Amino acid sequence: MTTRVPPEAGRDLSSPRPEDRLARETTDDPTRTGRVLARVWAVAGKDASQELRRRIALASVFFFAATALTLVSYAVGPIGVPPEARGAVSAALLWVILFFSAATGLPRAYVREEEMGTALALRKSVSAPVLLAGKTLFNYCLFLAISAVVVPGFAILLEWTVSSPGELVLVLLLAGLGLAVVSTFLSALVARASQRNVLFILISFPLLLPLLLAAIQATLEASRGALSGTVLQVLAAYDGASACAGYLLIGAAWEE
Amino acid sequence: MSSTAIEARDLAKSYGGPPLFVRLSLRAESGLTAVAGRNGSGKTTLLKILAGLLRPDEGTVRVERAGARLSGEPLRLAVGWAGQDLNLYEDLTALENLTFFRRAAGAHADRGEIGRRLEEVDLAYAADQRVGGFSTGMKQRLRVAFATLFDPPILLLDEPMAGLDVSGRELVARLIAARRRNGAVFLASNDERDFVQPDQTLSLGR
Repeated sequence: MTTRVPPEAGRDLSSPRPEDRLARETTDDPTRTGRVLARVWAVAGKDASQELRRRIALASVFFFAATALTLVSYAVGPIGVPPEARGAVSAALLWVILFFSAATGLPRAYVREEEMGTALALRKSVSAPVLLAGKTLFNYCLFLAISAVVVPGFAILLEWTVSSPGELVLVLLLAGLGLAVVSTFLSALVARASQRNVLFILISFPLLLPLLLAAIQATLEASRGALSGTVLQVLAAYDGASACAGYLLIGAAWEE
Repeated sequence: MSSTAIEARDLAKSYGGPPLFVRLSLRAESGLTAVAGRNGSGKTTLLKILAGLLRPDEGTVRVERAGARLSGEPLRLAVGWAGQDLNLYEDLTALENLTFFRRAAGAHADRGEIGRRLEEVDLAYAADQRVGGFSTGMKQRLRVAFATLFDPPILLLDEPMAGLDVSGRELVARLIAARRRNGAVFLASNDERDFVQPDQTLSLGR
């Protein structure tokens, strides 16, 4: 049935129309507003506020990291395998701890919105790319916070020496960005699935494997003070490709 | 100044069983559209489709301003929506919730602006309380504040009176009366007393 409403019926022409006010406040292209960063920051800040107030989720991430670190240090550390026999295994062990610690927190980005029922409010008010960027920023900060705890602890407990700490920081920054981008995007992809945890692991494994292999190689090279440009280029290319893919696909993944 | 209109053509939707509606068309630019029908008739589904939160099986929804079809950010913010399954952040206060959604959408959000919006739904006294501690009626008022957060020319309210006390119902009725003068309001309700002189009525049901 169609019932047409007279266009000007009952309109108070003396007051400003809502759409005119709306048009002043927002534009159709967020890059033109110069406020994209503020919007992204608002999303990241909201996530941080929530996590800090709940504490339990953040505490579980750091508790997992501490547990994994302790177990590895007992098995491989000073009372286990001697440092000279560990070789390349140390870099792999570090990334195993970092990856699984991050995996307890990063996939929650979008999943918790669905679980709390706030996803509809977000879909109605926040553009998908802005939301992805904000949640990625929070996840990136979370990964760096985990790294800030795990890496020094790993170095102390396993007597792991790094010849070039600056290069190691660069590796963590680049690899962490890729991990945050992909994990956040996959979180949006699986948020509405019934078996979202299993699905996340199954999808993330092939997507993150190249990143983790490159990260382990780069960490090994940094620990020896011989970080090559090639592996850095791989990490940077992975970050760029995953960010572009995420930006292009997030609308379909989150809003469709 | 430009006006905004919403137009749906030949909408159809089913959830695997019999269709909720088929070939449903409507257009509204201002006034109140009453969406009536018994439980399960598709009122909530129709409003979600109009809000862009749900895809119809068939048909299209267009929102136009000055003859041009809106898309992306302007479309999202031009259509306000509140329904029973809209939840806001329980860890945040009412003020923080509305501030976040306006900032994340790129809109102005100082405390005075948000306070005024909470005042509109008589929640100013609870601005700094966490939403998790709100009663059902207070949450419903906050949903209405969310729906009008961007002053949308198209406002979709799904059972906005549910859980409200007498003063809350009067408040929402006043809000609808004010909004219908400058835009289109769609009101879905099981109680026909909520429809005050609607400009058009959509009766759903098999």
